[in-house]
Amino acid sequence: MSELEQLRQEAEQLRNQIRDARKACNDSSLSQITAGLDSVGRIQMRTRRTLRGHLAKIYAMQWATDSRLLVSASQDGKLIIWDSYSTNKIHAIPLRSSWVMTCAYAPSGSYAACGGLDNICSIYSLKTREGNVRVTRELSGHTGYLSCCRFLDDSQIVTSSGDTTCALWDIETGQQTTTFTGHTGDVMSLSLSPDSRTFVSGACDASSKLWDIRDGMCRQSFTGHVSDINAVIFFPNGNAFTTGSDDATCRLFDLRADQELMMYSHDNINCGITSVAFSKSGRLLLAGYDDFNCNVWDTLKGERAGVLAGHDNRVSCLGISSDGMALATGSWDSFLRIWN
Amino acid sequence: MSGSPEIEELPATQTGPKGVIHDWRKFKLESEDHESIPSDKRELLRQMSNPKSSNDDSREKLNRKMSIQEYEMIQEEDERCLRKYRRQCMQEMHERLSFGPKFDAVFELDSGEAFLDVIEKEHHLTLVVVHIYDDGITGCDSLNNCLTCLAAEYSTVKFCRIRASATGAGERFSDDVLPALLVYKAGELLGNFMCITKHLNEEFFATDVENFLNEYGLLPEKDFAACPVEEENVDVE
Repeated sequence: MSELEQLRQEAEQLRNQIRDARKACNDSSLSQITAGLDSVGRIQMRTRRTLRGHLAKIYAMQWATDSRLLVSASQDGKLIIWDSYSTNKIHAIPLRSSWVMTCAYAPSGSYAACGGLDNICSIYSLKTREGNVRVTRELSGHTGYLSCCRFLDDSQIVTSSGDTTCALWDIETGQQTTTFTGHTGDVMSLSLSPDSRTFVSGACDASSKLWDIRDGMCRQSFTGHVSDINAVIFFPNGNAFTTGSDDATCRLFDLRADQELMMYSHDNINCGITSVAFSKSGRLLLAGYDDFNCNVWDTLKGERAGVLAGHDNRVSCLGISSDGMALATGSWDSFLRIWN
Repeated sequence: MSGSPEIEELPATQTGPKGVIHDWRKFKLESEDHESIPSDKRELLRQMSNPKSSNDDSREKLNRKMSIQEYEMIQEEDERCLRKYRRQCMQEMHERLSFGPKFDAVFELDSGEAFLDVIEKEHHLTLVVVHIYDDGITGCDSLNNCLTCLAAEYSTVKFCRIRASATGAGERFSDDVLPALLVYKAGELLGNFMCITKHLNEEFFATDVENFLNEYGLLPEKDFAACPVEEENVDVE
């Protein structure tokens, strides 16, 4: 038997072992276990603030850790830092490219980052001595578009790219410290674990992977979706994560069970999901769809708990603040809205 | 809210990174000078924009969203073309979503069947607002007047009203939950407000009801106000 044939057999055996191990611990379904749980009731959220200032579709947003400021990126080629309490614009940052796909806020509040079709992750210093905003680094190295970026701290950022890889960067030197390879399709999204030791990525190969940030290894791979995964988000306690896909479903994957626990879908819904967020407790899952609709799901029971903004489907991106007090949504009409 | 003819006509991707790629392709095809892009490149953009057109169905191709030649086409763009394109994008969305039948008055429903009909059989883009009221209950008269005003201002929304006793489910709508406002679209309940007057002042007007519904994202924007023309002040070098 050739060596290649031997290796193929070994891989097949390992796959079977994984499948059997997963089946062995699959003693029940999440919906069965939560059948007796009270439903959350109908969720109806109200707009508390409208943020006006962008001139085109909002592509991405992220809250700052103070749950008050947030950054948004728009087709108008600007990054805007907002004070969501007063609705004031703190900074309006012009970008070199209008085609921005992601933006991020450093936990310290001192930096913002963004990237898109330029394949570059640009880092902006928000707290310069002169009081204005400056580009401090342009992290280039990816050979595909920058789909997502998330700060670990002021000196490290993780990125995902259309070149099928993710990378950890040293912002100071501008170099990639670690490259995470393994996906066979464009990586669309990433989410850092609460303890910052791992992150999960979702890609157009319909799989999501858990990576160890320090050693660059893929610790676990999750399958189940039948089409591109566009969004991923960690469950608040770090033991699970949810993905949103073009197959019109969101799925909850548990790290310890190493498999899918729940699927959030409905026969009436045949539109892909492109953004996901959890409420602070994790009981609610917010999902933004490609037709600009936004559904609120009961994470534990798998039922739909409400629809956000019923008319004029408007949600192009969304995010929940870390104190759990507000949901921000960006729209195709250039406005951002704060809800709770 | 998906699977309807108009929504199916929408391009495959609108949001997220793929939405940006789609917007960029559309910009290159429609907004830039025809001379700046050779016809073979235009053909590539057209093919990549059409999700069903892959004649070469290898797994590799389906997992990659942009081709190498497309990356080479990315360059500095004319700001004027971009501005025009952005306005065009928003205008198209407004038109797409305000498509559908128009109304100008509040419809009185006289039975449970009429109620079900209006919920299930309206155009899938039409928002249906139903006021459940009864005589002698505080707030119902005022609310009816308010909705009459709003019906004239929001022509794409179908405002209706029905007496609790006519619904055939009178017991469900006891006096303490009236007036009730139910909001539907494409057969789905989007908003459910029992005793809506407790959210409003004792004396309320059409604008108060309008603001209330707007806060829940349940009314369309009245004017196309999303295109401010002045440039924002920037403080970045």
